[in-house]
Parts: sequence; structure tokens; C-alpha cells
Amino acid sequence: MSKIEHDRTHHAAKATGIGDPQCFHGEAGPAKFKVGDEVRVRNLPDLFYTRCQVYTRGAVGRVTEVVYESPAAEDESWDNTDQPEWFYSVVFRQKELWPDYPDLYENDTLETEFSERWLEAP
Amino acid sequence: MSDMQMSNVIDGQAAARLDTAPISLLEKVRSEGRVWTDLAEEYGVTNPDPPWKITLEATCDLLAEAECALPALERRWEEDELSEERYAGVPFPERQLLALAHSMIRRGLVNEGELAKRMQQVHERLTQV
Amino acid sequence: MAEGHTHPAAPMVDEVSDFEVLEMAVRELAIEKGLFSADDHRRWTEYVHTLGPLPAARLVAKAWLDAEFKKLAVRDGVKASLEVGVDWINGPPTGFGTPSDYCNLRVLEDTPTVKHVVVCTLCSCYPRPILGQSPEWYRTPNYRRRLVRWPRQVLAEFGLQLDPGVEIRVADSNQKTRYIVLPVRPDGTEGWSEDQLAEIVTRDCLIGVAVPKPGITANATRPVHPAVHPVHHEH
Repeated sequence: MSKIEHDRTHHAAKATGIGDPQCFHGEAGPAKFKVGDEVRVRNLPDLFYTRCQVYTRGAVGRVTEVVYESPAAEDESWDNTDQPEWFYSVVFRQKELWPDYPDLYENDTLETEFSERWLEAP
Repeated sequence: MSDMQMSNVIDGQAAARLDTAPISLLEKVRSEGRVWTDLAEEYGVTNPDPPWKITLEATCDLLAEAECALPALERRWEEDELSEERYAGVPFPERQLLALAHSMIRRGLVNEGELAKRMQQVHERLTQV
Repeated sequence: MAEGHTHPAAPMVDEVSDFEVLEMAVRELAIEKGLFSADDHRRWTEYVHTLGPLPAARLVAKAWLDAEFKKLAVRDGVKASLEVGVDWINGPPTGFGTPSDYCNLRVLEDTPTVKHVVVCTLCSCYPRPILGQSPEWYRTPNYRRRLVRWPRQVLAEFGLQLDPGVEIRVADSNQKTRYIVLPVRPDGTEGWSEDQLAEIVTRDCLIGVAVPKPGITANATRPVHPAVHPVHHEH
């Protein structure tokens, strides 16, 4: 790859042949939540850049997978990769996300991922 | 949350920083350039995409990767904003290309003058007999 | 047309468009300014050229034929991808995945009571290494905003209507995971080979906006209308 001053060389050295997010395996410490846990999405202030969709804020869902360790997107965009977190796949009932979602489709759900900082016990 | 609120929040972050005012060089390309769907029809070519679509994708990937000059998420937010406000009605991928050039000019990665000059040189190179 | 040829030359666009010129000019300036190298660009272009939906279709066909492979696909999408020739980690020129695709494929298994459909509301992320380039409609704010909110309506527009009791699960790939859908194997495919099965698993089936059907081997063509008004209808 080309010469860089952004820290992509460091990332390349760490991740080549291993993959991203695989290269952060083992760095996050114990996972706070496990599969089956109910979690609420926190409404943290967005500084500038977030991958936590506004439509999920405040909603309660259930952890369906503990997926990988990685720096949170909010840190990674500033090249702050020192403290990876656990990421979780969370399933929500659509009715929970959109109060006027039709009752006829009460089984419909939505699944999306969050880094640990965005979740709390309900 | 209403759809309007949702779209404002998704787009608002990049839109706050992006100047969508027209850039005359790109407006010229937009009005005078021939889009692939027209060219393909005229020449009877069945490929749905222009040959430069893939090189454009590679450029977008590398801008996000090599120097992180234009991270993917921001480029896409700006592309959404520009697609709605400035380049609505332009077919994809011409729209993606115009949005990329617009983002790059506004970020100072290239300037309009040098881009115009380079376009002239490229055009001469490609059309010389 | 040259004499002696029995077949006419393939038609070519014999004209230089300003868009073609703009793309090249942008790329050349970017290289001169050191934003990336010409070598990197050539390698990336070669890589992107290799990408298409066939490996994902074969992954589904294999999973339909082999229960153990299906379990692997659901448990470890990256490992299962290797068996259809896709290496999420070493395939891209970086050696650690691409900056927008990463290396965490999850295969979402449909059942008779759960139907998955994939979107990326934030930026239209897509599992390119196994599925190729995303279609234009997938990238539009129209699809991205509406699918999470009105999935039934959007799917109906794609010609897919499901029983109200079925759980439609929208997967929003907002972080590093990329998804493909493993649809339910349709009736009428008993005794089919892997090739025959792969042929009916179209890109749209793998995104989740269509279901595989014997005899249907192409994505439905969709006219794309630029959104004149932003979407906020009420139902």
C-alpha cells in the first residue's frame, strides 16, 4: 500500500492476514451482556459522527449474538483504536421502534449492531 | 420518530459541513456530458454500466483507505445530500461521480481550476487521432 | 466492417463523454497528490472486477444440499465463504478486508416463519466480496429510509407479499457485519444439482427482497425514479 501518515500502516501491520474486526480479538475484556439479555439503547450525545441510528435510541431489544470486538465507530473515525469494545447484535420488535407500526404485523422485527457503550440494562 | 426527523438526523451530520452550492465546472459537465444510458442506446451497447464505473468504485475505496482523505460514511452522506439537492435527476453512476468530485473540491483535495485543466488535457489525449 | 468476417464487431461507444474525462481527471489528480498510488488503484480495480453474485448463490445452493454446511454458514460466514472461493480477509489487496466491507459475513437463515431482508440505512454497505456491486435502488435514501420503517410496503413494491403472521426481520448493517440471506429452498426443486439450485438464487433473493422460484433466474428489472418529494407518508 502507499506511504501514509494516517495510522493505516499500524492498522495494516496489525490486521494483515488476520482481518478486521478479527485483529481486535481478545482486546475488549469481559463482555457486559450475553445472548438473551434485554438491553436498552442509550441516548448518548452525538459529538460528530455516530453509527448508532437515531431511530433506535431509547428502544429495548434482546441480544441475539455477541458478534466481535472492535473499537467503537465513534472512536475509530478519530483513529482512536486503543480501547476496543464488545459489539452486540440486538433484535427489536418493530412495534417497539415505531409506535404506530401496524398491529397486524406484530411479529415483525429489526436486527442491528451496537458497541457496548450504547447499551444498558433496561 | 417521523421519517422527516429520521432523515434529518442521518443527513444532518454531514450536511452541516457540506456546501452544496453549485460548482460551475461540475454544472458544465452535468449539462453537456452525455450519460451512459444515452450513449449505450445510441451505439447499441448492452453493458448496463460505463467502463469507468469500476475505476470510480476503486477510487472511492482508496480515498477511504489509503490516506483516509474521504472516509466512506462521510462520502456517502455527502453523496445523499448532493443527490437530493444538487444533482437530482442525473442518472447513477454519473451522479456518484459528480458528488465525489464535489466533495473533493469542497474539502480542498482538488481545486476546480486544476480539475478543469486536467480534464482538458485528458480530453485531448483521448480524442487525438 | 472488415471483409471476410462472418460476425460484426461488438458495438462500442465511439465517443468520449465528459463524465469519462472527469473520472479520469479526478483519479489522475488524486494519484499526483499522493491520495493513493497508481499501483494501488490498478490492484483495486482488478479486485473489484472479480466480484459478482455467483459465489453467494453457490453458498446458498450448497447449504440447501448439505445440512452440515448450512450450520457452518450460519455459525461462521467467513469460513463458509472460503468454500465458494471467497476470502474476505486475503482476497482484497489490503490483506485485511476492504474499508467498507470488513470481514464479518453473517448468513441469515430464513425459515417458514422468519423472512430476512437486508439494508444499510447509514450508507448502503453491502457484502461486495461475495455478492458484487450493489444495485442502484439499494443505495437510494428511498430504500434505506423506508425499508426499516415500512418493510411490508417496500417488499410489496418488489412483488413480495408475506403472510401477516410471518416475522419479517430487517437487518440493518450499521457496523462491521455484512449480511446475505439464506432463503428457504422452494418446492419443485427436488433432485436438483447445485448448479441448478444456484441459478435460481438471484442477487435480489440474497438481499431478501425476492424469494427463489424454479424458472426465475434473473432479477426483476426495476425502473428507478428520482424521488421528487422526500418520503414521509403516513399509514
